[in-house]
Amino acid sequence: MGNHDNRTGLLQRVASRREYGALALLVVTVAVVSAVNPSFLAVGNIRDLLVKCAPTVLVACGMTLVIVTGEIDISVGSMMGLLAAIMGIMTSSDRWGGPVWLGVVVTLGAGATIGLVNGLLVTVARVPSIIVTLGMLTALRGLTELLMRGEWIENLPAGLRFFGTGSVWGIPFCVVTALVVVALCAVLTRDTPLGRRIYAVGSNSHSAALAGISLRRVKIIVFTITGLLTGLATLVSVTQLSVIESGIGVGFELLVVTCVVVGGTSISGGRGNIIGSVLGVLLLGTVGTALIFLRLGEQATYWERAIQGVFILLAVLADHVARRKERLA
Amino acid sequence: MKRSFRYWHEVVLAALLVGLLTWAGIVEPQFVRLPSQVELSTHMWELALLAMPMTLIIITAGIDLSVGSTLALCAVVLGLTYERGVPPVIGAAMAVMTGLAAGALNGVFVAKVKVHPLIVTLATLAAFRGIAEGISQGRPMSGFPDSFAVIGRGSCLGLPIPALFVLAAAGIAGLVLMKTPTGRFLYAIGHNETATRFSGILVDRIKLWLYSLSGGSAGLAAVILVARRNTAKADLGAGMELDVITAVVLGGTSIFGGRGNILGTVLGVLLIHETREFVSWHWNRDELNLVVIGIVLIASVLLHQVFSRKSSRLDAMG
Repeated sequence: MGNHDNRTGLLQRVASRREYGALALLVVTVAVVSAVNPSFLAVGNIRDLLVKCAPTVLVACGMTLVIVTGEIDISVGSMMGLLAAIMGIMTSSDRWGGPVWLGVVVTLGAGATIGLVNGLLVTVARVPSIIVTLGMLTALRGLTELLMRGEWIENLPAGLRFFGTGSVWGIPFCVVTALVVVALCAVLTRDTPLGRRIYAVGSNSHSAALAGISLRRVKIIVFTITGLLTGLATLVSVTQLSVIESGIGVGFELLVVTCVVVGGTSISGGRGNIIGSVLGVLLLGTVGTALIFLRLGEQATYWERAIQGVFILLAVLADHVARRKERLA
Repeated sequence: MKRSFRYWHEVVLAALLVGLLTWAGIVEPQFVRLPSQVELSTHMWELALLAMPMTLIIITAGIDLSVGSTLALCAVVLGLTYERGVPPVIGAAMAVMTGLAAGALNGVFVAKVKVHPLIVTLATLAAFRGIAEGISQGRPMSGFPDSFAVIGRGSCLGLPIPALFVLAAAGIAGLVLMKTPTGRFLYAIGHNETATRFSGILVDRIKLWLYSLSGGSAGLAAVILVARRNTAKADLGAGMELDVITAVVLGGTSIFGGRGNILGTVLGVLLIHETREFVSWHWNRDELNLVVIGIVLIASVLLHQVFSRKSSRLDAMG
């Protein structure tokens, strides 16, 4: 975490920072694809790629905090589905037709509330987080389908659709949001007492508790942040679509956890950082787009998930090799 | 309080199951008749089959998220070999072998490379489904002969054939856990892996076998599912890993390892199955199911925590 001995070699420092694995794979992928097809680097394509990655980045920031404390949240995909349904029902002119600000407040508020409930169940009720969020994953999806009654929601107000399709100084609004959130979370983890507490809780909860850190408070905060960021991700991604259906966010939790892990965050807690997770999201996002730009034809797109899976195994193996070197050194 | 009786969790599950069936019998008498129950049971066999090895894995504090994807991969292998003129029986054997190999790959990463099973199987969850999509190009394959459909739909000695596989799997898993040294080692690994290793137990070999068996069961489940539906497609079994884990955890197996048994898992599977079928029978609303099952899962672990809350003062400091 930053204060490595200056005498250690560059190679060792690279090997000891796990996010470089994702960075190296990302650089290689981009280099290979743009060598085959230079239009991969066109501004329009980069823009599309960033827009595609932005919602994942938002949730991955929260997920990184949760995983660093040694917990996990696999409810984010279903949460996104439910928040999308609530947002649509509140604001669509076919339904209640509420004002835009109300839609924003309710989406963010409901997200934070569900996150808070997750946090309370994990800490106060002491149910393991994988169970709490697995239960939520199932229950929230059911709730979404009950709310949607098998119908689509159309006609979101234009003001709300700005969050998904609008631009600020030529940069898509969702990308700006993601940049701001990444910056805030990076500062939070590095330069604030809360950030240090998050790592302390994940490294050794016993010592952290003895040092007077409230495990409960820290965990409740990270789950609530994740809920809030899922609300924000819903706000900037679902509004890109012209219709809301009940399948939004299915499998999203696995994508986010995968990106965070590929970015070098340790699943057992205490290790990892925001920038690594952003690199993880960019890497997995690039794989899908890259397959199209390599001009391998229609068949290649079916292999996207297989390649993503192999990349995760590669990142894991690289980490294994790095750790073995560290032990020998 | 003396701990003399160890099966309170199972008693509570059984009581819930009886309560549910009694209620169902009052409001929907048709639902509890034997023919309807046999008919509905076809929805349960794949879940039950996968839940047995999953119980053993979770007892060792591991997890296998890849079972749904392994199932899809095996189903696609079965479909593709049949299309190329391989008899379905040999195709089925190849599907099970594929499952074993896929599981062994998980096992190697968990036991030899020593990566957290959650990460390994998250990666292979994507990879196996991806390979299934890649080699089949997302295309459904059907037209299996009737003689093959027997595996999924036929019956033998008055029992559906898939039920025989499930009973065998449950019997073996239960006996291994209760009656063999290996069974004790599984609990030991779940409680304290390092200590178990230092006791000279071949932890790595046990884990390799467990994950391989889990993959093999997914292969068998794929054969049953394809035979029942007469279609093999790369999207089979999507999200099934979560159903399986829900059933196992509902059955009282601790997600942190060291605690759990097959009887609990059987009751967990039955409870989920009956709840699901009754809700869709009575209200005709499948989505209500998800809400009920999610809440039941959290509540069951919550209640367990409340009743077993006594030790570990430091935990409460947080």
